[in-house]
Amino acid sequence: MPAEVGNSSPTASGEASVSSSGNQPPPPPPTAKKKRNLPGMPDPDAEVIALSPKTLLATNRFVCEICNKGFQRDQNLQLHRRGHNLPWKLRQRSGKEVKKRVYVCPELTCVHHDPSRALGDLTGIKKHFCRKHGEKKWKCEKCSKKYAVQSDWKAHSKICGTREYKCDCGTLFSRRDSFITHRAFCDALAEESAKAETQPQPQPQPQPYPPDQDPRLTMPSPATEKPDLEPDPKVKISASPPPPPPAAVQPSATVLSSILADPPAAAELPENHPPQVLEEQPVRTNLIGSCSSSSTSSSSNGHTGNSLIAGLFAPSTSSASLHSQQAPAFTDLIRAMAQPDGPSDLGPSPSLEPISLCLSTNHGGSSSLFGGPERRQYAPPPPPPSQPAMSATALLQKAAQMGATATNASLLRGLGIVPSQPSSGAAENIHWASTSMDSENASVASGLGLGLPSDGSSGLKELMMGTPSVFGPSKTTLDFLGLGMAVGGSPNGSLSALITSIGGGLDVAATAAPFGGGDFSGKEMGRRS
Amino acid sequence: MDISLFSSKGTPFNFNQQISDDPIIDMHSANNSHPSPATHSSDSAELSAAGKWAANLLRECARAISDKDSGKIHHLLWMLNELASPYGDCDQKLASYFLQALFCKATDTGRRCYKTLISVAEKSHSFDAARKLILKFQEVSPWTTFGHVASNGAILEALEGESKLHIIDISNTLCTQWPTLLEALATRNDETPRLKLTIIVTASVVRLVMKEIGQRMEKFARLMGVPFEINVISEPTNLAELTKEELGIQEDEAVAVNCIGALRRVEVEDRTAVIRMFQSLRPKVVTVVEEEADFSSPREDFVKCFEECLRFYTLYFEMLEESFIPTSNERLMLERDCSRSIVRVLACDTCSDDGDGNITGGECERRERGIQWSNKLKQAFFPVRFSDDVIDDVKALLKRYQAGWSLVPPQGQVDQELGIYLAWKDEPVVWASAWKP
Repeated sequence: MPAEVGNSSPTASGEASVSSSGNQPPPPPPTAKKKRNLPGMPDPDAEVIALSPKTLLATNRFVCEICNKGFQRDQNLQLHRRGHNLPWKLRQRSGKEVKKRVYVCPELTCVHHDPSRALGDLTGIKKHFCRKHGEKKWKCEKCSKKYAVQSDWKAHSKICGTREYKCDCGTLFSRRDSFITHRAFCDALAEESAKAETQPQPQPQPQPYPPDQDPRLTMPSPATEKPDLEPDPKVKISASPPPPPPAAVQPSATVLSSILADPPAAAELPENHPPQVLEEQPVRTNLIGSCSSSSTSSSSNGHTGNSLIAGLFAPSTSSASLHSQQAPAFTDLIRAMAQPDGPSDLGPSPSLEPISLCLSTNHGGSSSLFGGPERRQYAPPPPPPSQPAMSATALLQKAAQMGATATNASLLRGLGIVPSQPSSGAAENIHWASTSMDSENASVASGLGLGLPSDGSSGLKELMMGTPSVFGPSKTTLDFLGLGMAVGGSPNGSLSALITSIGGGLDVAATAAPFGGGDFSGKEMGRRS
Repeated sequence: MDISLFSSKGTPFNFNQQISDDPIIDMHSANNSHPSPATHSSDSAELSAAGKWAANLLRECARAISDKDSGKIHHLLWMLNELASPYGDCDQKLASYFLQALFCKATDTGRRCYKTLISVAEKSHSFDAARKLILKFQEVSPWTTFGHVASNGAILEALEGESKLHIIDISNTLCTQWPTLLEALATRNDETPRLKLTIIVTASVVRLVMKEIGQRMEKFARLMGVPFEINVISEPTNLAELTKEELGIQEDEAVAVNCIGALRRVEVEDRTAVIRMFQSLRPKVVTVVEEEADFSSPREDFVKCFEECLRFYTLYFEMLEESFIPTSNERLMLERDCSRSIVRVLACDTCSDDGDGNITGGECERRERGIQWSNKLKQAFFPVRFSDDVIDDVKALLKRYQAGWSLVPPQGQVDQELGIYLAWKDEPVVWASAWKP
């Protein structure tokens, strides 16, 4: 049986070790990789052997006559026979080599059908034929991945579920499919394929890897790799002030994510170019994008964005120059925020503003669930009432922040307040709105109109007590509850809007009196006016 | 109702007194639901023993709205508002989001509320946030991956041996379905085929991130060595009127239509027309995945629709609660998405109520059950049974998530072909199906 001599070939170990190697094989060095991509570079003098598919797929052809156990190789059978005390014979290694044999794949369309690409050993050609042209009949119980070669399947079964797939970005995965999906969306891929673009990607070859070890998915990215600095609209916008020098951008793996989220670039803007920030609409928009994306992301670049926010909103930091800008544009800003869809949103009456149920109680217990990082991030100490109003830009950003982090109710509560008479009521309302936005503490309500530190537990109460004191005197129609109901001229009627509106005919409208009372609100009123 | 309720310092206690004196309120639930959510942790056992207070109150309120009993509506909305919180437990969250919808319904302001919610969502939408959200969701729950695995399996089998594949993708999962399909194509035995993806975007928030996603798909396909092309059609005016030409379908391409959570966004009356449009593309396979709920009941029957909506989102919120850690930001975002849908389904019926005009974009959200979809699809297609291999893949997928997920055949066992269901705690929640001409 001439087919059974192959195991002595020097190249046999190559494939065998691949298929049985354990977790996380080290990334092959470039030379080894090249060899793997083009397996089969036989000695031109070797004897070329073409075996039939049947022979290649046959297993355990050497059967013990005593116990019927089958073996793939005669050698193994002989060793087995020894255990039965039967005569056995191991082939001796002869001193001089027999003529070397190489094996071609019987599949006509296969590259290894060509004798010049023949494989150097029998095991190799068998596995190749099974993997590439055979039925995948071995299926992993855990992940349902299928294998044509039993040893591949065994190797996979041992590690399936235990193995962690690691992306270049550092994330670990125990599941292959989530790893693949992540890989496609990860910034590390964008970087890696930048390399692939500069060097033409070799055409996919029939790959001799067991699929789990496909280097295309685990290819490490050298830290020195040039990132793909393809033009990105966001970058262009943020670069309308002079862009930060390339040195400011982090090298290697973080570059692309930095560009995408763009916190470093954005972070420089307020300090270096505050005038542009305030004047240029595109920059402003970009800042919002940066802020909101970083706020919803806990990735490594998140803290940059956070510090930016802190810088913008904490009055004492270096970005205080922003605060020198008073709030002339504030009314417009509020309009802009409250009418995200443009003029059509104005509705029949200017006093009807976006609707929400703004009554929800923000109580301490639950707000602490989510308040942790956000509180650190967004809650600088509430400014004293004399604090100048925040700049329009800062408020706009704050609004974006709230959109990303607060409940929609809170957000709308923040946004849904528009002075219907800007001329008389604007000043107070500007003040009111800005302080309320400052003191967001997951219980926005508690900060409304008060400018006081919120204890986070009595939001509703303060909300109710405090309102009339602030809004009563100014004849503005404030949709405090965000109910979208015309409150009419009644200064204290806002709370009852819900009541009056529902069902229309309810008799609860006369509710104003109790609200104005309370020492607390009286104090506030004094401070403000 | 006494106004002291609102001004008194001892609000919680008085509040309780107040409602106890009120004959309208369901006494049982009101008394057992403690007055202040802040004290929740101390007596949560008592609360859970009392059953689902949120569902009871919401149900009462929906009935009152249906009956136009303004006094009762008013009462219940106030009470719900006291108890609800988007940051609380499941009951509080449900109360919070359904309260919003019921309020809009009662005041006929649903459309404006919905538009505001949409624009808020658009404002806070970014590629980073969207990517993080959907990948995290898929990591902890098979809610979307179930449909991906089933659909990919059916598509790969139907297009086996074809050299030019063209997938028309109308879904809302940001192309997270395709990397595994690309990988499967790349490691297939036969020659790697060409793949053309035509993405039809029906949600405005998705449009904002499609450019970024398209680039990434291209890069990943290059990495996997799959000849690839991706085209994006943003918000077509009318899905039902798309043509082969507009979709760039070539004669020699094998077409698959992949529809995940897309049909429910089409207005109920237009759904048959959209299915006819699919038929005109002569696809080899159509995959349809939808959430298993029936919000299509006649719009007059508000209570019925409300009940179904509450049932479905209770399941969904409980699923989220058990899948995510309590402080998960992603969970909060998913719940906020639900709040939009709930307002859309429950409070956006009356047309042009406030002069705002129609809500643009396909955002109908009126889900139908698998059997209802099947009846519609059967007019144009024949059902394809998922192969054992695909079923095995789906089962293997579910094994990797926490307990509680299972795969169930269609109820009734009559039509085994009519898709498969993902079940959460034995309740079917997502339906997946495959169809051929």
